[in-house]
Amino acid sequence: MAEFGIAAPSVKVAGGKSATATGKSLSVVALRKTYGDVVAVDEASMEIAAGEFVTFLGASGSGKTTTLMMIAGFCEPDSGTITVGDRDVTRLAPQKRNLGFVFQQYLLFPHMTVSENVAFPLTLRGVPKAEIRKRVGETLEIAGLSGFGGRKPRELSGGQQQRVALCRALVYRPPVILMDEPLGALDKKLRDQLQVEIKSIQQELGLTVIYVTHDQEEALVMSDRIAVMRNGLIEQFDTPRELFERPKTPFVADFLGAANFLPGRVEKHTDEHTLVRLDNSSGLLKARRHQLASGTEVKVAVQPGRLRACASDDGFCTGTVETATYVGTLVRAGVRVDGGQAPLLRLEVPAGRGPVAGERVGITADPDDVNLFAGEQGG
Amino acid sequence: MAALTATAPARPRKLLASRKTRVGILYALPVVVYLLVLFVYPIFSTLLLSLKNTDGSLTLHWYADALTGVNLSVLFTTLRISAETAVLSLVFGFVLAQAISRLKPLWAGLAMLVVVVPHFVSALVRTYGWIIMLGDKGLVNETLAWAPGAPFQLLYNELGVVIGTTSMMLPYTVLLLYGVMRGVDRRLLAAAASMGAGRVTIFRRVYLPLVGPGLASAGLLSFILSLGYYITPALMGGPNQTMIATLINQQVTKENQWNGAAAQGVILLVLTLAGLLLVKAVSSLGASRKKRNAS
Repeated sequence: MAEFGIAAPSVKVAGGKSATATGKSLSVVALRKTYGDVVAVDEASMEIAAGEFVTFLGASGSGKTTTLMMIAGFCEPDSGTITVGDRDVTRLAPQKRNLGFVFQQYLLFPHMTVSENVAFPLTLRGVPKAEIRKRVGETLEIAGLSGFGGRKPRELSGGQQQRVALCRALVYRPPVILMDEPLGALDKKLRDQLQVEIKSIQQELGLTVIYVTHDQEEALVMSDRIAVMRNGLIEQFDTPRELFERPKTPFVADFLGAANFLPGRVEKHTDEHTLVRLDNSSGLLKARRHQLASGTEVKVAVQPGRLRACASDDGFCTGTVETATYVGTLVRAGVRVDGGQAPLLRLEVPAGRGPVAGERVGITADPDDVNLFAGEQGG
Repeated sequence: MAALTATAPARPRKLLASRKTRVGILYALPVVVYLLVLFVYPIFSTLLLSLKNTDGSLTLHWYADALTGVNLSVLFTTLRISAETAVLSLVFGFVLAQAISRLKPLWAGLAMLVVVVPHFVSALVRTYGWIIMLGDKGLVNETLAWAPGAPFQLLYNELGVVIGTTSMMLPYTVLLLYGVMRGVDRRLLAAAASMGAGRVTIFRRVYLPLVGPGLASAGLLSFILSLGYYITPALMGGPNQTMIATLINQQVTKENQWNGAAAQGVILLVLTLAGLLLVKAVSSLGASRKKRNAS
């Protein structure tokens, strides 16, 4: 407990994890929750390491919040187990779990000052007064709130209130801190700023954080790993890079990468590549090697930023640029592929070298950026 | 309109303001007349009456009389019974409002109706209802006939009065507290639980402070209302439960003693006003805190 490493940011080690991690590991096994006939969370399992920042990412109704609520103890799972460190907390009341929770609506106690709010969990734990004062002061300082201790929550801005809520959740060094869209009520600029702040506090103190959001950018910026959830299922639980570069399902490719999808069929394999013949196109598309039998119907997924326009006979397909929108550093182009049906193929290319509307182009992509999904996988 | 007058030159603005004032006076006239005739005049004549000796000279004799001997003990009885009523209606009101605020909206609405509807029945009728219920052969004593010491004396003593007045005050406290409780964000309680607070701690350190101002004003309100209560104490109490309103009635109707009654009326009025000021102070304390917090 004494190693609350604020004064020693030098403990930071490679990978951004603190050597004196205060966080503990958390494991969820086959967690299931139904509401009537609706399966809110379906057999969710994951292992979260101590000091890891994990985000549950998904649209509303994906089960991300329900999973978080079950971990917090606000809602009871039908089956499955939740373990914090090596303690089974599945059936414990929320107040017995010793977790931290940061709510979207801050939920500061309006009748208490900022200091009293932050001190509240410590007084519950019978921490001596002098110690409370010291730790509240330290925690407020981390969050850049020194001097605000005497104010009431309503005298603070939304961002400041959420910082106080964060302090209140981390002042008692819970093994895991849960955050339910904590920045959802703030404007974009403040959100960006607090993302960085929360991330740096988490790294500095070695906190284990489980974060729920529907904002992909937020998830990518903050997380060590992201669990992409849909319809109560974890689609993929991986690092942001893996999710982005190697999506396991068309849904993940679409949700995170906003990928273009093209239907095709596996033609043959070389040592390093899988060659795909696109429907309605004579060209062969080179993808990195996938374990798919020749003749398999596939969906080809490539992110707009990973497609390139080239001379019309160099690409795997050709088309006509229908729209080209200049958006600062980028040009967003929509290409009508020859012989293909709608929708337009979306490209993002650096401005200046961008294609213009009406131009005939070929389309190409680095084989490593091409993901293939077997036909029967849902999208 | 405000912006218009603010930007207009000084002279027309003055004119407008004065015309507005004249129209305003015209509108206010009926209210002023109404208040003068039905409020200010009676109060001042009562005040005058309480200060007038039988020979027409000014005196404080009636006040001295009202604040000594039996009259003083009646005043204390009034304060005591009102305090007991306030505490009990607060306790029962709290429990009831608490239960209702946890119901689903439809059921909560029905429950509130059940609480409030009896209030539309005349207090006299309700008091007689209680007398029938609490008498020696009443429902309560019949039900408890097996208990040692039955029948219990539930009427014509302080218990009877307090039962009666508390039931009369309950709708007020329930209504007030229900409103306050609905305003409490239940998620705050969940937040406290997430930090490790048990139910008792959550209640004591989060819930109670949040509903505290409401409790104070509900308690004071039922205290004030009880001070001037007449029918219930007169019918359900014994001679020892004579309250000030009953005494005033006796002086006027039986002893034709208007001056003494006036003095006691003024004392009651002062007590009530003091209570109201207290309510206002308590609620404005809450409001100013809110205002400060909002800015």
